Amino acid sequence: MVDVSQHELVPEHTVLEEDILEDVLDEYDIDRTDLPKIKRTDKALPDEAEVGDVIKIVRNSRTTDQAVVYRLVVE
Amino acid sequence: MSLQTPKELDEIQFGLMDPETYRDLSVTKVITADTYDDDGFPIDMGLMDTRLGVIDPGLECPTCGQHSGSCPGHFGHIELAAPVIHVGFTKLMRRLLRGTCRECSRLLLTEDEKAEFRDRLSEARRLGRDPQDVLKAAIRQARKKDRCPHCGEIQYDIEHEKPTTYYEVQQVLTSEYSQRIAGAMQGNEEEGIDRTTPDELAEKTDIELTRINEILSGSFRPRESQRKAIEKALDIDLTEEDTNKLMPSDIRDWFEAIPDGDIEVLGIDSERSRPEWMILTVLPVPPVTTRPSITLDNGQRSEDDLTHKLVDIIRINQRFMENREAGAPQLIIEDLWELLQYHVTTFMDNEISGTPPARHRSGRPLKTLSQRLKGKEGRFRGSLSGKRVNFSARTVISPDPTLSLNEVGVPDRVATEMTQTMLVTERNIEQAKQYVANGPNAHPGANYVRRPDGRRLKVTEKNCKALAGMSEEAELDEAQTIGPGWEVNRHLIDGDIVIFNRQPSLHRMSIMAHEVVVMPYKTFRLNTVVCPPYNADFDGDEMNMHALQNEEARAEARVLMRVQEQILSPRFGQNIIGAIQDHISGTYLLTKDNPRFNETQALDLLRATRIDELPEPSGIDDEDKPFWTGRDVFSELLPDDMNLEFTGTIGDDVIIEDGQLVEGTIAEDEVGEFGGEIVDAITKQYGNTRSRVFINELSTLAMRAIMHFGFSIGIDDETIPAEAEARIDETIDDAYDRVAELIEAYERGELESLPGRTIDETLEMKIMQTLSRARDNAGNIAEEHFTEDNPAVVMANSGARGSMLNLTQMAGCVGQQAVRGERINRGYEDRTLSHYEPNDLSAGAHGFVESSYTVGLGPREFFFHAMGGREGLVDTAVRTSKSGYLQRRLINALSELETQYDGTVRDTSDTIVQFEFGEDGTSPVQVAYDQDHDVDVEGIASKVLDEEFDSPEEREEFLSGKTVETNLSEHAASRRVASEEVTSDD
Ligand SMILES: [Mg+2]
Ligand SMILES: [Zn+2]
Ligand SMILES: [Zn+2]
Repeated sequence: MVDVSQHELVPEHTVLEEDILEDVLDEYDIDRTDLPKIKRTDKALPDEAEVGDVIKIVRNSRTTDQAVVYRLVVE
Repeated sequence: MSLQTPKELDEIQFGLMDPETYRDLSVTKVITADTYDDDGFPIDMGLMDTRLGVIDPGLECPTCGQHSGSCPGHFGHIELAAPVIHVGFTKLMRRLLRGTCRECSRLLLTEDEKAEFRDRLSEARRLGRDPQDVLKAAIRQARKKDRCPHCGEIQYDIEHEKPTTYYEVQQVLTSEYSQRIAGAMQGNEEEGIDRTTPDELAEKTDIELTRINEILSGSFRPRESQRKAIEKALDIDLTEEDTNKLMPSDIRDWFEAIPDGDIEVLGIDSERSRPEWMILTVLPVPPVTTRPSITLDNGQRSEDDLTHKLVDIIRINQRFMENREAGAPQLIIEDLWELLQYHVTTFMDNEISGTPPARHRSGRPLKTLSQRLKGKEGRFRGSLSGKRVNFSARTVISPDPTLSLNEVGVPDRVATEMTQTMLVTERNIEQAKQYVANGPNAHPGANYVRRPDGRRLKVTEKNCKALAGMSEEAELDEAQTIGPGWEVNRHLIDGDIVIFNRQPSLHRMSIMAHEVVVMPYKTFRLNTVVCPPYNADFDGDEMNMHALQNEEARAEARVLMRVQEQILSPRFGQNIIGAIQDHISGTYLLTKDNPRFNETQALDLLRATRIDELPEPSGIDDEDKPFWTGRDVFSELLPDDMNLEFTGTIGDDVIIEDGQLVEGTIAEDEVGEFGGEIVDAITKQYGNTRSRVFINELSTLAMRAIMHFGFSIGIDDETIPAEAEARIDETIDDAYDRVAELIEAYERGELESLPGRTIDETLEMKIMQTLSRARDNAGNIAEEHFTEDNPAVVMANSGARGSMLNLTQMAGCVGQQAVRGERINRGYEDRTLSHYEPNDLSAGAHGFVESSYTVGLGPREFFFHAMGGREGLVDTAVRTSKSGYLQRRLINALSELETQYDGTVRDTSDTIVQFEFGEDGTSPVQVAYDQDHDVDVEGIASKVLDEEFDSPEEREEFLSGKTVETNLSEHAASRRVASEEVTSDD
């Protein structure tokens, strides 16, 4: 099986620690359910990600070098 | 019955309505088709009964006590003499008839199946899927049953004859069964079917021979099992359809007996919608307010279409009742019933296929309930989401190169019709009086005034002098003279800001703000450089103008929407406004060979710009006269300190040093509409205002230049010498020979196929290649005979209009015509036209046009060319409609997204779509980069600082000061803590 998460075009996905998550949610003044979603079955997710976790995705950007996005793992 | 209009809606329920509810809601039963009596009063229990609401001013509604305007109108009802079907539910009725038992009315599903569909239904609801799909599946399952699983009754097919007739179809033994059996027993020699003797038949069917003979003589009707046996043995069909029409009353009885539990399996809420309610026994009569009658000029009343329809319904209803009471024959009753059904059907929907629409006496189809709601002009799309506005004007547009790109020429008759509100104060009272004194017809006049007490007065020729306090009677009556506190609706004058728009409004530059210039004649005038953003031309295009009505709107329009603020497109971050067409030819001629101008000529070129003094001459000519070069004249328009270097349109280096064009030709890539480097650089470095000035001056200079040189094109410019034409013919003949060789090789089977292609495809490809090379060669030969100053060449090289390919086609050879990317292959069997042999693969037979446009096309060439041309037209037509709908859906989906002050993009429920706008938080308009040149950030920063601060101390103070936070979230105060950490980092 191919592990897509290792592919160069798949950006880095990491599970966000709870305390850092608090800061993120505070910064944007949102509940975690207001975040964009990602399916648990998404092949890009790290193995330890569980439903309810928030994933931090760091993408390469032409204009800003790195663009950070957060997603909530759903069923 | 509640008379209270609800003030707030919690929810809306859709469902069927109980006839009892109709009766409860009704304020009166309507029994007469007459509307008004001889004195013109509404007849009691007629269609215009005052209890149904009042529309005539002054009358009081007997139901709610309110006057016209506040009375919402009240429903009445008609008791239908016989039940009729509601056209809106015919599909659902068909499904229920097919899915329930004709005897016991229960759903034709076993308990297990019911449970399964109940589960699927709740699953669908939970997942937001369409419950309708479950209903369809359940009905499909139920239809499979031949017998009712509950009472065992045989089920028949239900046929639906649109719109409102249902039949039960039974297969019964045909009356000519004996003939058919006898016929089949004869056999058929041609088809090789042998004769069957009665003995053989008896054996095959297991029926006694005497019975068979009885059947053959027609004295015994075979039973079902016997019929099937005979049918099987002889391979014939002995049945015929027996149709039994289901009357609405039958259906109503049928549906009434369906148990609640069974319809809930289908997803129908039995509490709110009993299926028998789909058959109407009572017809609600809409309030008079929904079908107001109008009084014509001659005093005659004209009734609404709905009223006409209701009159029909009541008339038939009455006739039906009378006939039934008189004991009329069933046939007549059925006819009347059908007529009643027709009228009730067309009352609700008058555009049903298969049903002739009900018509007005004039022949116009009536607009009934569903026509009022449906479609573009219907209540939803036309009235509720449609917007019609005051203070707007629409007319044809025409060009005016003397206007600034910020301006729009407004016809005086538009300017005198549309107004701006002017609050009269002590400081502007003299002007206000002057406007009013001019009256409504003279140009800078006024149409209305508003007194401090709120009353609006129309300004007329008669009262204008008095209102302005400029007549004797005015001095007597000061209250009638305008003063502070009044409002004056004055005409549009030069400099007013208005919004200008051309449909389709596909991007934000389709609606821009312009400053008014009042002009004679009837068209809106605009500078040609704003054609690209509007996608406008002057072949009859019309545009809309909107006069802004409050100070806030005017300020917003001026700051955000003015044309000069839209020079840079948010789509690609470069200028969308710039020189076009002749402007580009003009600057090209002006700068290409750097021609010389004497003083008069140079001044003439610059006459429409701000430059009123020529710079130092570029040199002294042989006759000792000073001259100015084209590039130096052009440089006068550039900012003094501008520096720029890039590769230009025609491949030369364009170098601007200290605002001086040192080298290079100014053409499309330099000053053009989509990303002209110089315009782009000026806009980004010197601002929108400087850019507007530059574009305005550039276009006028270019027009002067092109007029100085003279620029015209004629047929001789595309004609080449006979010698060249002969060479082109030779090239094409060569190509024909090569094509013939290819075909020969193909026919001999010697052609080798290219990888992944069949032999046929290979041949086609090779022929196409050969012919396209021939066309290119023809073009090259033709090109040799065009000089650099050929106007078509100038236009193609400068990027003003057209291409070298166009020129090739005009002078050399038009080339291969294609449909769907292939040579033309359609028409007759094995050939494109009857002029060719079948299976002729040659160039000419498949749409190669060897003539040039100048020479003219032969008849067959013309035909092929029209085929290719047609495809182009169809393509564009399809593409525009497809992409228009795509765009509409995209806009509707994205319209609620909004960039917040914290940089995030969120929808209306505050869920985040992007954490940073565009993932980089930058506006394309504010960013500049290209492959070769980074923006000189340092340079720009120091330039701005130098301009802003006089002393180095001030400058230092500013630089070391705290940076202003622009990224504050409106959602969180906690953001501030985080951002302070960030600032301490760098
Ligand atoms: Mg047009
Ligand atoms: Zn009323
Ligand atoms: Zn039954």
